[in-house]
Amino acid sequence: MIEWFRDIQWEHLFDPELAWESLPFLMQGLQITMLIALAGMVFSLLLGLVLAMGRMSKYRLLRWPARMYISFMRGTPLLVFLFILYYGLPVIGVQFPSAIVAGIVGISMNFAAYSAEVIRSAIMSVPRGQWESAASLQMNYWQTMRRVIIPQATRIALPPTTNIFLDIVKGTSLVSVITVHELLYSSRLVAAQSWDAMTMYITAALIYWAVCVVISYFQERLEVRYSRYLSKR
Amino acid sequence: MIEVNSLKKVFGDTTVLESIDFSVEKGEVVCLVGPSGSGKTTLLRCLNLLETPDGGTVTIGKKTMAFDGSGRVKKRDVNDMRTYTGMVFQGFHLFPHRTVMENIIEAPLTVQGRNRAELVREGEELLGKVGMLEHKDKYPDALSGGQQQRAAIARALMMQPEVMLFDEPTSALDPQTVGEVLRVMESLASEGLTMVIVTHEMNFARRVADKVLFMDGGYIVESGTPADVLENPKEARTREFLQLLEE
Ligand SMILES: Nc1ncnc2c1ncn2[C@@H]1O[C@H](COP(=O)(O)OP(=O)(O)O)[C@@H](O)[C@H]1O
Ligand SMILES: [Mg+2]
Repeated sequence: MIEWFRDIQWEHLFDPELAWESLPFLMQGLQITMLIALAGMVFSLLLGLVLAMGRMSKYRLLRWPARMYISFMRGTPLLVFLFILYYGLPVIGVQFPSAIVAGIVGISMNFAAYSAEVIRSAIMSVPRGQWESAASLQMNYWQTMRRVIIPQATRIALPPTTNIFLDIVKGTSLVSVITVHELLYSSRLVAAQSWDAMTMYITAALIYWAVCVVISYFQERLEVRYSRYLSKR
Repeated sequence: MIEVNSLKKVFGDTTVLESIDFSVEKGEVVCLVGPSGSGKTTLLRCLNLLETPDGGTVTIGKKTMAFDGSGRVKKRDVNDMRTYTGMVFQGFHLFPHRTVMENIIEAPLTVQGRNRAELVREGEELLGKVGMLEHKDKYPDALSGGQQQRAAIARALMMQPEVMLFDEPTSALDPQTVGEVLRVMESLASEGLTMVIVTHEMNFARRVADKVLFMDGGYIVESGTPADVLENPKEARTREFLQLLEE
């Protein structure tokens, strides 16, 4: 045991010089990562909203497909879904204009399922009295949804939505497997050239971390803003 | 102003309202009393169609609706009916993410599309009347129960209903704030507003009501002036109930 520990070559753990020199190249990868992540957040949220509405609809014809969709996406690995989109679809003659687009589509469609569940439970956790008092004031379904329910549900959905966003950022690394030159892909290129996988992947990890810290920071700011109507008791 | 005939409401296989008949004249204050579970809330909610009746007819203002037990109603009819009524709930149900002022102008703003500045002016006047003007920029969470309920009354009044429905407006309040809400309601009554009030505040009912309806088991057991129903009840069940309240 002691032997094994003594044999670790700590001097090769991290080469700051290599990390620093490869940073500009990694930043190019990060741009792609952020493009995919941001598009993924926006589209998964929009699609999630639609799915949540479908899931809560009084019509079985809307409820049932939404339910199936959510079940499928939550029950299959994102990587497998990306393979279906990027390697599977061309077999039947459907081709994405680029791997990036395939990645965005895959991530959006997959995370929309999680987003739908968060949105649905947030909407359902707004007390029924809110619907009823709005109805007694002659507000219709959409007026109530838009002006009364969604603002309150947003506060409730904020922390779990941030979790989804963090998962999306980290999930973008999977699209490196379908040849997208994002952050992980770039790190792997440098790692192969420099023969220093440890430094490169640690650097990549730190960059992902930094992005997630920034997102968490915004969450906290938003949470304060959306909770300002609650007195601090 | 209100005319209810053979109103019936069923939940599953329990009949909660069994052939209810009553009427309310313009400017009248009607208090609805009775033991818990007797159907008072359900009756009130049938008047603004938060519940869909299963039989009978309801007329409020110029709108009459007949119910056939299918449970289906036209949105249009529901909207028409609701333009006549405002409702105050036991649990206030203010919009927590909006200030008092925002709460009370919300519906006239979004439903009627009225001018905001004009509404704010009207709102200030109304808040002054219910003693809430100084709290107009506070969120509901920072208010006492009595203050929230007064804001909720103002919110309902902003839609200029012809009838106000109150469902135990003081039952969720601390004893020390009950009075301020009852005083607001009393002043509305003296201005001639038509009101239907579910309440256990018998002194209030004696003082303010033109008519008292005693409900039990889904029926209106007894009705009449407060003196008739509360002082000289004819029915044994009414006497029992009033006795229980005094203990
Ligand atoms: N949504 C509902 N579903 C099933 N039963 C209900 C519902 N609302 C009320 N009830 C029943 O109807 C009866 C009358 O209730 P309610 O109108 O609330 O009485 P009250 O307001 O006089 O206390 C009660 O037995 C209650 O359990
Ligand atoms: Mg009740």
